[in-house]
Amino acid sequence: MRSVNPAAPVVLVLSLMALGWMASGQAPAPIRFVYHPIDFTLDSSEMPERHAPETMAGGVALFDYNNDGSLDIFFTNGADIRTLKKDSPKYSDRLFENDGHGNFRDVTEKAGLAGIGFDNGVAVGDYDNDGHEDLFVGGVHGNRLYHNNGDGTFTDVTAKAGLNQPDPQYGPLWSVGGAWLDVNNDGRLDLFVVNYLAWDGRNEPVCEAGPGRRDYCHPKFYKPTPNQLYLNNGDGTFRDVSAESGIRSHPGKGMGVGIADFDLDGLVDIFVTNDKVYNSLFHNKGNGKFEQIAFEAGVALTENGQFISGMGVDFRDLDNDGYPDIAFVALDNETFPIFRNLGKGRFTDVTESSGMARLSAPMAGYSPTIADFDNDGWKDLFVTRGHVQSLAYAPRVQVEQPNTVFRNLGGLKFQPLTAEAGLTAQAPRRHRGSAVGDLNHDGRLDVVTTAISAPAEVWINDSPGANHWMELALEGTKSNRDGIGARIKLIAGGSTQYTHVSFAAGYASSSAGPIHFGLGRSQAAESIEIRWPSGVVQELKDVHADQVIKVTERM
Amino acid sequence: MNSALVLVAFAAPLWAAVNPQAAVEANTALALAQQGKYEQAIPHYRAALKLDPHLPGIQLNLGLAYFKLNRFADAASWLERAAKADPASFQAQVLLGMSYYGCRRFAEAAASLKRASVNQPANTELRFRLAQSYLWSKQYDSAKDEFKILLAANPDSAPVHILLGEVLDAANQEEQATAEFEAAVKVSPTEPEAHFGLGYLYWKQKRYEDARKEFQAEVANQPQHSQALAYLADAEMHSDLASNAEEHLRQALKLDPKIRLAHLDLGILLADRNGSEAAAHLREAIRIDPSKPDAHYRLGRLWLSMGRQAEADAEFAQVKQLAEQQQPEPLVAVPGRHADGPQ
Repeated sequence: MRSVNPAAPVVLVLSLMALGWMASGQAPAPIRFVYHPIDFTLDSSEMPERHAPETMAGGVALFDYNNDGSLDIFFTNGADIRTLKKDSPKYSDRLFENDGHGNFRDVTEKAGLAGIGFDNGVAVGDYDNDGHEDLFVGGVHGNRLYHNNGDGTFTDVTAKAGLNQPDPQYGPLWSVGGAWLDVNNDGRLDLFVVNYLAWDGRNEPVCEAGPGRRDYCHPKFYKPTPNQLYLNNGDGTFRDVSAESGIRSHPGKGMGVGIADFDLDGLVDIFVTNDKVYNSLFHNKGNGKFEQIAFEAGVALTENGQFISGMGVDFRDLDNDGYPDIAFVALDNETFPIFRNLGKGRFTDVTESSGMARLSAPMAGYSPTIADFDNDGWKDLFVTRGHVQSLAYAPRVQVEQPNTVFRNLGGLKFQPLTAEAGLTAQAPRRHRGSAVGDLNHDGRLDVVTTAISAPAEVWINDSPGANHWMELALEGTKSNRDGIGARIKLIAGGSTQYTHVSFAAGYASSSAGPIHFGLGRSQAAESIEIRWPSGVVQELKDVHADQVIKVTERM
Repeated sequence: MNSALVLVAFAAPLWAAVNPQAAVEANTALALAQQGKYEQAIPHYRAALKLDPHLPGIQLNLGLAYFKLNRFADAASWLERAAKADPASFQAQVLLGMSYYGCRRFAEAAASLKRASVNQPANTELRFRLAQSYLWSKQYDSAKDEFKILLAANPDSAPVHILLGEVLDAANQEEQATAEFEAAVKVSPTEPEAHFGLGYLYWKQKRYEDARKEFQAEVANQPQHSQALAYLADAEMHSDLASNAEEHLRQALKLDPKIRLAHLDLGILLADRNGSEAAAHLREAIRIDPSKPDAHYRLGRLWLSMGRQAEADAEFAQVKQLAEQQQPEPLVAVPGRHADGPQ
């Protein structure tokens, strides 16, 4: 068992920052983070041959595994790339328990979550509605479903659940993660699995950045694979409905998944970013059927019609108009696209007009998460940054990069904060996954990030200001217990905000904490309306700020 | 091309050749050339050469006559012989370099001009052409060195700043390139292309508001600058000033109907209110350069909005095909090789 005490480094960093502000006479940035170490290093078995999975590892989840009210951290980890087996403790997936103050203790062994294969992404969801969050772990040629037993342990139920079957056409798939969602509103969480590309370590192309200098190959050298949809039978088993739902007929090179009811028809839809292939928007038509409408909706490509390296994604209302927008990230010179939802099933590319194109053009991103980090009522965008290529590629591009938070100034305009937000307190890395949640119960959202062959980073939100906040911990009764898919409208100080419950955000990661709202100067929310997936509409009035409210779905 | 550099013309003394008839032809040619009658001079030069191939300076003067007529390939052919006959001839090297330049044989131009510059290291115009030759032949390091030498001697020369900016831009040193264009604009706000070049760099950096101001300044200097008008409109569209853009796009296309960007942007602008005209512009953008996916994508989306699914699908298919053809430079797959991976 390992534990860390972050107190000393936090104090040191804060002191240095204070000196810096005094010296420069500048006001502190409205969003600030303080680095907090944690004893986990992502090991993806990097080798000179440059096998593709090595550079794609790094999922992370924040979730309350033991229902003590604090968010714990789960990291996926790699394996020996030649065998895809975790033959050393250094490859262990890891679960860290939060003591409620942001101190973490390694409980992997007791929990039984070390894993056995090359794991990539993670999705949190209480698939059996027993009140304990379960874990889906997607990996290279092998996925795992861990049932939370409610006593601090998990059981690998992959085979029992029916999630261990190789694809009859494509063989073993490489999953970079997934999302839990209730596609048919039957109150049970179904599972969408995002698959990357067809990788066969025995027959992998060799690519060179220069004579004799191997590097990771462009995705075009690999074949696409289909995503998968598993319907929850309600008895601990799942049925693969990928083909009959229409999902399977749209293979891609999936990297990220966002879920939202983009057309507000009461059925949750699925957006998938693809690497150097056009994106997919699976519109839920009901009756278990989906249609791929990315071109029709205007989200297949950015406005210049180029295929870009679509990485992680978040699908959430950025401009508080009630319609979920799409923000995803890509590599340098490809920008971090933002598609604004216009309603009526159409989106418009606002990457340029929002200023994001210019701000993000020099950056390479992996994991974007939309959340309100300064509690001002506008959701911001936190992006883990780092290039896909190896360190040896560095002279050509900036392979290691710091993370950046794009502060939403309202009206879909953004201010990038990197050093200003304290995010250069650590050296630039090849950052990958990220998960967001309030780790220390101070009402400010913290972030946990991973990086290839580097320690994970816990970024404790230390933003100045006295903005108020509120968190809603939903408990579905008729709907799925996590309330995934519930749409929430909150009015505070005359301003209206919208969001919905989804744990899928960023790259290969899951943020499963309560739903967070920043309230600005308002000390209460005048109204909170929750539209559950079941159709139940519930309203709360005059709710005081600065607390976590548990809301159980009205029967 | 008729710069001071090449005013070496026809300065040879009247010939007194071994072959008297050759001398007559040569002197007749020289007299005609000195009157600017190059077309008439050339047959006499050639006749003289036929009678006496070793007549000194005759190849140089014949080459010069062709050069004056902008017949650079012919000029180069004779000047190569002149330079070979007298490798130390400054005039032959300069003229040959300039002829290569005229033929767009920039690497050879650079080599000749470099040889000439040894004799006249302080000749600004020579160095300027040499630097340009390096630039267009993509010898960026040498170009940079030459422009820096030029800049040290001529710190207020807007053209030097502009060309150094181009070199730096070509070498992907965007920030320094921008600084050079900014310097050009500062020393000479009316210098042709200075604002356009700076605007283009801002545009590439997606600094549309800054770009818009520069394109506007270029248009103020050169109202007929069709590219500046097109880019001005594009920057306006990206700066939420689309209401101004349509007029600028139409002006640009009136001046030059082949500007792809203007057709593309007009197609985008008109999509919501005049589908058929928008489609016509997008089609024209595709006709001008069918390899760019953006116009196909826009046209596909336009067809969709007009309920023309089959045509939309055809455009989207084009987009997919073009994207598949994108080359993943600089990474290269090694044919027939596979990694030693998991067993």
